[in-house]
Amino acid sequence: MVSARRDISNRIADELSECGIGLVASLPDDWVADLIKVVEADDRFIHVPVNREESAVGLCSGTFFSKTYSAAVMGASGMLTCIYAITKISYTYEIPMFFLVSMRGAIGDTAKYQVSNGIYFLDILDTIDLPYKIIESSDQLLEIPRVHRHSKVYSRPSAIILSREVLQGEA
Amino acid sequence: MMQLRDAFEYMVSRWTDQLVVTSAGHSSGTWWDLTHDRDRVFYLTASMSLSSMFASGIAVGNPGVNVWAMSGDGAFVMNPGMLFVERRMNLPNLTHFLISNRCYGSTEEVDISFSDHADYAALAKAAGIERSYDFHELDDFRDRFDEAVLAQGHSFVVLNVDRVGKDVRTATMDGPEVKFRFGRHVEDITGQQIFNVLP
Repeated sequence: MVSARRDISNRIADELSECGIGLVASLPDDWVADLIKVVEADDRFIHVPVNREESAVGLCSGTFFSKTYSAAVMGASGMLTCIYAITKISYTYEIPMFFLVSMRGAIGDTAKYQVSNGIYFLDILDTIDLPYKIIESSDQLLEIPRVHRHSKVYSRPSAIILSREVLQGEA
Repeated sequence: MMQLRDAFEYMVSRWTDQLVVTSAGHSSGTWWDLTHDRDRVFYLTASMSLSSMFASGIAVGNPGVNVWAMSGDGAFVMNPGMLFVERRMNLPNLTHFLISNRCYGSTEEVDISFSDHADYAALAKAAGIERSYDFHELDDFRDRFDEAVLAQGHSFVVLNVDRVGKDVRTATMDGPEVKFRFGRHVEDITGQQIFNVLP
């Protein structure tokens, strides 16, 4: 029997594939760890574990110049380390990319060390005008293709932000 | 020790259909000064170490096209872990040139204070990149260019060069122009549509 968490990971992978995404760059956060394992084992994707989250911005931005659509999977804290890379590469050159991020530091996160980042996470995305959708129910996973498509229309990054409850298969 | 301009002049003389991604500082400025190419080169300025990752994205999506990525040693020391990702991807169509002038070329050539003790080619070897080369003299670079650069397979090529000693301006294009001209060229050589495609 597939666990609720694995079921959600599989559904997210299916949505990514539905988008035509063929490459996933990742750096683990424990909330997205299972999704990363699913992507690694899934032949539909080239999975590239990166050394730091900014490398995913470089890599995924480069794939724009091909038919290979890509996604970057990471935690909210990791995305915060990407702000310069986003404004430098994505905004200077107007290159789309797509993030899939866990909403660490939000209410429900029991890790104290995540909260100090979580306090500012959404405000920072708002400040740099990076469009995102927060997914708090598995029913909303259907938003993934729309948000991915929006990055292509907007010619800059967009993000899906996943709650703990969704990633754990509890919502 | 080589002069950067001499090394690049030789590379330009051997340049055929490769896509080129430059880094901040003297690699962008010198390549632009020598070629004034607006189509086959992505002038990725001030990415703070991401040029080889950006080039890897181009290369993985275009397996029939060879890609030359350039980094300065100032950028490289910010993110040497890029080597592990490069090794993991092991792209046969990617050559990563590290331009080592032991200074931050884009910021008045301020010293990289720890570069005297660094062996970048050895770092690449230690990361598992077998085809790692370290050139100090132009004649050696010329003699082994085919082996190091043109032979198929991922390689990491360190060019140890003197400081340029002056400001070298890069391409006079804004970001979107770089994107569109480079992207249109990729469309032309690969036959695939990059712009105006929605998933």
